[in-house]
Amino acid sequence: MKNKFKFLTKESLKRKISSKWFKIVNIILCLVIMAALNIDNIIKMFGGDFQEKDTVYIIDNVDGNVYDVFSSQINTSTSMFLADDNNYNIEKYDKTLEEAKKEVEQNSKIIVLEFNKDSENVINVTFLSKEYKDLQDMAILNTAINNTKVSYAMIEYNVNPESLAKIYENVKINRVFIDEEKDDKSENTNMLMTTVFPIIILPFFMLTIILVQMIGAEVNDEKTTKSMEIIISNVSPETHLASKVAAGNLFILIQGGLLLAFVGLGILVRFLSGSGIESSGTVGNYIGTVIDLLKGTQVFSQLAYVLPLLLILLITTFLAYSLLAGILAAMTTNTEDFQQLQTPIVMVSLIGYYLAILAGLFKGSLLIRILSYIPFISAILSPSLLVLGEIGIIDVLVAIALTCLLVFWMIKYGIRIYKVGILNYSSKDLWKKMFKSLKQKKV
Amino acid sequence: MLEVKNVTKYYGNFCAVNNLSFTVKPGEIFGLLGVNGAGKTTTFRMIMGLLEPTEGEVTLDGKKIDYSVTDQIGFLTEERSLLTKLKVSEQAIYYGTLKGMEEDAILKRLDELLEKFEMSQYKNTPIKELSKGNQQKIQFITAIINKPKLLILDEPFSGLDPFNVEMFKDEIKALANEGSIIIFSSHRMEHVELFCKKIVILVSGKSVIEGELTTIKKKYKKKNIYVRGDINVSEISKIDGVISVSEYGDSYEIKIEDDSVTQKVFDKVKKYKDITKFELADATLNEIFVAKVGESYEK
Repeated sequence: MKNKFKFLTKESLKRKISSKWFKIVNIILCLVIMAALNIDNIIKMFGGDFQEKDTVYIIDNVDGNVYDVFSSQINTSTSMFLADDNNYNIEKYDKTLEEAKKEVEQNSKIIVLEFNKDSENVINVTFLSKEYKDLQDMAILNTAINNTKVSYAMIEYNVNPESLAKIYENVKINRVFIDEEKDDKSENTNMLMTTVFPIIILPFFMLTIILVQMIGAEVNDEKTTKSMEIIISNVSPETHLASKVAAGNLFILIQGGLLLAFVGLGILVRFLSGSGIESSGTVGNYIGTVIDLLKGTQVFSQLAYVLPLLLILLITTFLAYSLLAGILAAMTTNTEDFQQLQTPIVMVSLIGYYLAILAGLFKGSLLIRILSYIPFISAILSPSLLVLGEIGIIDVLVAIALTCLLVFWMIKYGIRIYKVGILNYSSKDLWKKMFKSLKQKKV
Repeated sequence: MLEVKNVTKYYGNFCAVNNLSFTVKPGEIFGLLGVNGAGKTTTFRMIMGLLEPTEGEVTLDGKKIDYSVTDQIGFLTEERSLLTKLKVSEQAIYYGTLKGMEEDAILKRLDELLEKFEMSQYKNTPIKELSKGNQQKIQFITAIINKPKLLILDEPFSGLDPFNVEMFKDEIKALANEGSIIIFSSHRMEHVELFCKKIVILVSGKSVIEGELTTIKKKYKKKNIYVRGDINVSEISKIDGVISVSEYGDSYEIKIEDDSVTQKVFDKVKKYKDITKFELADATLNEIFVAKVGESYEK
């Protein structure tokens, strides 16, 4: 005799994976993820004005040294705003502003800066361009112009070039911690993880939604087609729900693996195209920076014991979500009702997600710490707080214990609701029936 | 043998089935009748082991029905219970496997049944693409794929044309001849009359008539007389004990209170010319059903 649990699990999984839409959606996901990781190369491939650097003509009516001072300042100010510090061609211009106007008229990539002496403000500048400049260009150029002015002002007040260089050099900060285990690299990681971790955990949120939808839709489909009557007359409701939970979790494991494979493919394409992971202004750069920062901290060294715990928390949370989806779907009498019921599940997951983002802003928050123990929310919030150093392993263990308790409760009592729900086709007194079923051992 | 012993089922304070008892032997076709909400579905669910009776018990060959015996049961629900996205063969494998069958055996049996029901060409067709009647055939095929010891048929002829109804009847009779216990529910009393040796009529969960169909009919006093020829309807209607006279083309149906009225009607009819038929018959099951259940059936 065939193992009916195994058969039902296999059938559920097969139905989902062999569907045309699973293949189409994953092809789209693969293309989108690969494109996101290579977006800079794709944009460059199509070309455009951005590939041509702006040329800045310097008309020096001050002392003949403006070109050198400004060139140095523009590099500094560009690196403040952009990863690439070679964004402009700076050229000396020996002709007049009137002649420059004719050239600017012909070429919108030319900017002319005419530096003049000013008795009140040391220097003044005429800024000439054909088109409006964007916020970034204006910020970089204004900073460079102001710094050039400051340099001249200091020279005017007899500050020698060596002193001037020292003035512009960044201050060396000696970061001291009372706790010897803390260091500035971990501090940098913490700052970064406050914003990065919610992005890393985003696939978990996405997989949760997929899991809830899959289990709910299947239970609902079997119920509305009345095939549930035949299925439940051959396998127990416990076996049926267990098969749905197993199939749902296997499916998201496969889907999660595929997402990772798509990311891997995207990175591979980056390397093959010669861009490397470190190219500027891209997702790849973001990941590379995070990995570099993490390398210098204790996170990797802690992974050996942190990772298994987080995996247990994720697995138990997925189990809890699966059971909840199955039980809620069993209660509903049509697809629309289940879609309505999905909203609170998604909301709970969203709360966890937002709290994970807020955790970095409200350090030491007692409320966020307490919420990190709550099942469903804990799977997103606990890892975030752990990485930020807000909670320890004991807190994660508490979150796991509470989620396990919830899973146990849903297996023991939720199955009673499931048994009654799957054969109930009337929405009349629904909640009353369900609460009543909690007290019944037999259906 | 299927035994339903003093079974009662309460949903909260509502009594869905009240002290119901009957037995069905192998080879018998049993009719479970009642209006909507009479308790038929609850009874079926208790027989299938899906619901636990509040009181009493249901046994198959002396054994309580649970998941250890459900592989021997076939169930055809009133509404379509098919996963319409699946192909015919996939659906058969799905339900057959849940009955503990191996895939090879399922496909062999499926081929036999598809041929018998003239549906071989649809083996790999998605169920949603089939007509309502063909979907019903597939539902029936999946219900009997395991040659069930106990077969429960809830409105099996729903959506079928007369030709297909005959096909179903033949197969149901064949299964009964092979020793299957068959429980049958239908709103079409002529179907029940054709099949069932024994029946139960439920009203609000309670049995109002039960036993051998022939005995029930005999016990029911009201009879029908069928006459073909030219009769005077008003004269016949005035006879004491005649309930009604209805005309159907060149024939008449005369409903009478009991057997004793027959002679009075015959004496009157024999005076008319061109009478080619005079037949006394028991009341139909439909008449018995309507009389017992009352107007609720019409509603």
